[in-house]
Parts: sequence; structure tokens; C-alpha cells
Amino acid sequence: MTYIGAEEIISPLGQNIQENFLAVCENRSGISLVPKVGFNNEDLHLAKMTSLTAEKKFEFLLVDMLENISVQIDPSVISSTKTLIILSSTKGDLDRDISNPFDPAVGALVKHFNLKNQPIIVSNACISGVLAINAANNFIKAGFYDHIIVIGCDVISDFVLYGFQSLFAVSALPCLPFDKNRSGITLGEGCSAVVVSNTKEIFKNLPLELLSGTSANDANHISGPSRTGEGLYRTIQKTIRQNNISADEIDFISAHGTATIFNDEMEATAFDRLNMANIPLNSMKGYFGHTLGAAGVMETAISMRMMRNNLLIKSLGYSEAGTSKSLNIATENRPSELNTILKTASGFGGCNASLLLRKL
Amino acid sequence: MSFITACCQISEEACAVNGNVIVRKDEQSADSWFKQLYKELALDYPKFYKMDMLAQAGFLASEFIKKAFPELVSSYADDEIALLFANSESSSDTDIRFKESFQKRKSPSPSLFVYTLPNIVLGELAIRNKFYGENMFAVFPKFAPEFFLQYGSVMLATGSKAVLAGWLNILKGKVEVSVFLIEENKADGLPFNKENIIKCVGLADQA
Repeated sequence: MTYIGAEEIISPLGQNIQENFLAVCENRSGISLVPKVGFNNEDLHLAKMTSLTAEKKFEFLLVDMLENISVQIDPSVISSTKTLIILSSTKGDLDRDISNPFDPAVGALVKHFNLKNQPIIVSNACISGVLAINAANNFIKAGFYDHIIVIGCDVISDFVLYGFQSLFAVSALPCLPFDKNRSGITLGEGCSAVVVSNTKEIFKNLPLELLSGTSANDANHISGPSRTGEGLYRTIQKTIRQNNISADEIDFISAHGTATIFNDEMEATAFDRLNMANIPLNSMKGYFGHTLGAAGVMETAISMRMMRNNLLIKSLGYSEAGTSKSLNIATENRPSELNTILKTASGFGGCNASLLLRKL
Repeated sequence: MSFITACCQISEEACAVNGNVIVRKDEQSADSWFKQLYKELALDYPKFYKMDMLAQAGFLASEFIKKAFPELVSSYADDEIALLFANSESSSDTDIRFKESFQKRKSPSPSLFVYTLPNIVLGELAIRNKFYGENMFAVFPKFAPEFFLQYGSVMLATGSKAVLAGWLNILKGKVEVSVFLIEENKADGLPFNKENIIKCVGLADQA
């Protein structure tokens, strides 16, 4: 069995998982209006960490995250020869060195914690986080490592913000995932981590079970979601079949829900095709914004806390159905027995990924 | 047991399939090196010209492999060929161009921005070949044969029947491209091991 635990988050909502989960339980958002950040000096909504000003902010986030993790597990695991770090990130520390966005920060992390194995950087657009957790599971099952710490991290840059603005994909309001009035993403930044292991005893709190996950491509368009949700449909179907799980065993879906018109429509279409439209679902983008490479890890971490607390967290920003296929979107927090959760992600390059978490 | 059954390497001067040079760069040509290679393939795929160099690199190398093995795509179901790519330069070549579009030309280019992720090449290969299978793009400080060996094996053990793998570095004129195919139970290839991965990618000095 593969275990997953020691979930952690650093975001505008807090410096650790407790602060972050408390904030989402209170339905507080990390999104605020930031003056003059847009390409034309316009004010834009961002989930920005105002405390992050250092030149080496990406590196500092990674180091702080691993410090947070070290108190949640047997601390000797971090520098073990059987431990690997997988970093999930789209742009790394691009502002520090555009030709070399990952090495300086990752090198510093290796040195600081005396890591024995060269970290792997998964850079696969917005599915990076889910893909990295799935890769961790696969590596452990194959016996290559005993423990893998998956860290997802991306920081806001002019580069990424202007890019999404050039695609007319940035929402004027805080993003409204799956809502009728949604009009694009709100960018976010932060860092999140989970520990994946074959050993239950390394965790200070009881871990959950990580079931094998999969990925699938839409084979349709590099920047537009498939109209039929083909890749998302295929990865979810593969994941539930590989684990002999049926749709009615899934208690909750942590969806991707970026709040662009086409992405959310694509997800609704895929869930409808899978007969999953009735399963309670949320998007966490209304709390954290879209944190790109960090999103899959962060949303998995929140899902784990939801399971531990048997509490379904509402999808912030949603009030009126806005997809052609209806979904069961959580409109308020409510106690709920959450034993099995499906986490999905979709991204540029037509990629989609999914994973399943189950209580022990 | 799995085998490397085909490989294509492209450098700044030459393109080789299974170790045999099939095209050398014509320095006199008005066409860019990648355009020369595209013409050599004699394909009708105008989308090629919209791609950035990283995507073009993966496209060209995979098409040369398909030319050598025309039955490649049709002999597998549409989700059985996994894509496993990595490099050390991420999408930096296009990242620099996109940054110039908003810093120097004061107009962020959406057509460049969509290529500022290294995995876009996987999307292009999926679209071209109708591949609905597994995707993985990873970044390393230097060529990492162990990763291809480990994760290639993982992909073959978790449902994929073949893996199209690639090491693609494109930055400021540097061209370091190798794409290779890993298949199961095909006796006519090189055993899929670290030594043969290094041989296929041709970067023994880095590994």
C-alpha cells in the first residue's frame, strides 16, 4: 500500500496547513485587488503573498516548506538515500534566471537539507502537481524509493500574468469557478507539499491511502480544452478502472475549475459523460487563485484535510449554474463522510491527470 | 523484456536515424535547418510552422522514426503509446522570446506565450498522432538516463505498451535532440538499459 500524509501549504492564507485549512473552513479567500500590476498598469485581482519580496523567494518557499514537512514526519527521512524530492513547477524562479529557472533554487535546497538524490522537476503545465504525486506513487510501487516528498511551487511573475492577459484569460473579478458569470482565472502563488511513502510509521499523524493515478492527453489543441472533455474522461476512467472503483464509491471530486469559460465547460462535459455529475464537487481556485504547478498538490492537501475532518468545503465564487451539463457544486460547508476522493487536473498541452485518495 | 527499437538524433549539423546520418545541414540553403528537415520529410502539415523550436524538434525526430517504421502508430491502440520527455532547458528558448515581446516590443505575444511550457511538445505529438496516452515532461540539470530507465519501466508496467521518449534541448541556437522508442517483446532492438539509453541520446560525456 502507498501512504500519503504530512500535507502542508504556504499561501496568502497562511504559513502552514493549519492556518490555510482554518481560512478555507471560514470561506476566506487569499485573493485581493493589487494596484497597477497588469500589463497596462491596471489593478488586478491576484492571490499574492505580500510577504514574498525577497529576490530568492522561490528558493525560500521551498526551504520553508521542507522545514514545515520535517516536523510532520520522522526527520531522518528527508536526508535518507531512499528518499526523493519531486518538485512540481511550471516556471520555477524565472525572474532570477530565465535560462535556468529551477537549478539555483533546487541546488540550494539539496545543499540546505543534505538531500541524497537529485530532485526530479515535473514541468507539465497545470497537471504537474497531480502528475508528480502519481509519479511518486509509481516510483514507490516499483521499489525505486521508499519515500517521496512532492513539493508544488509557483510564484506570480509579470511574465505569466502578462501571458494570461494576452490570452484574455484573466478575470476582472476574483475568479468564479463553474459559475454562470465566470470570465477567467485569477493567478495565485504559493507552495504545497505531501509525503508519499511505503511506510506508515514515518508519519506523525495517520496518513491516507494513495491509489494509483493516471494521465491522458486530449489530442485536440495545445491551449484550448477539448469540447468533449476527452482526455479528462479517459484519465478518470483509467484511474477508477485500475483501482476497481465505481463512480458511486466516490464521495467527492476536487476538480480543477479554473473559471475560464471553456475549461469549466469541458470539465462538466467529462464528469457528465462519466455519470459523475451528482457527486459533490468543488474548485479551490476561489481561495488560492490558480497556482499553476502548485495547484494539484495544494488542492490534494486541502482534500486530505477535508477527509480528516469529514467536512466538505464550499466552492467559493459559485452561485449560479454556468455549464451546459449540471454539476453538484458544494455551495456551503457541510459535514460529510468523505472516505474516497477523486482529484483531477487539466492543462495546456491538452494534458489531464487524476488520482484517488482513500481513508485507511 | 523491453527494447529500444528506434532512435533519431538531431544535432546542429546532422540528423541520424538508428545511428545512420540521413540528412546533413546544407549551409548554402536559404531555409533554416529545421525547415530543411521538414522538407526532407515531404509532409503536408502546415501546423509545423506555427510551432516553437522545441515542439518542432520533437515533431521532426518522431516523424523520422515513423518514416523508418511506418506501422508504428497503427500497431498500437490510441492510448497505448506513452510520451516521456525531459530536458535541461525547459522552454527557455521561447520564454526569452516571449519576454522580449512584452519588454522590447511592448506587446505580449499570445502565440509565443502558449509555447512557454516544455510539455507543449507532448501536446503537439498527441495532436499529430492522436495519442491519448500517458504524458510526462521532467527537467534535470543534466542528461538523466536513470530517469528514462526508471520511469520508462514504470510506464510499461502500468498499462502503456510502448514509450516514445525524448531528450530535447533547444536554447539560443543549441540543438540537442534525441527521440527513441521503447517497446516490449521486440527482439530486434537494443535492450532497454542505461548503457543503451546513453548510446541513443549520444551524451555519454554528460551522463
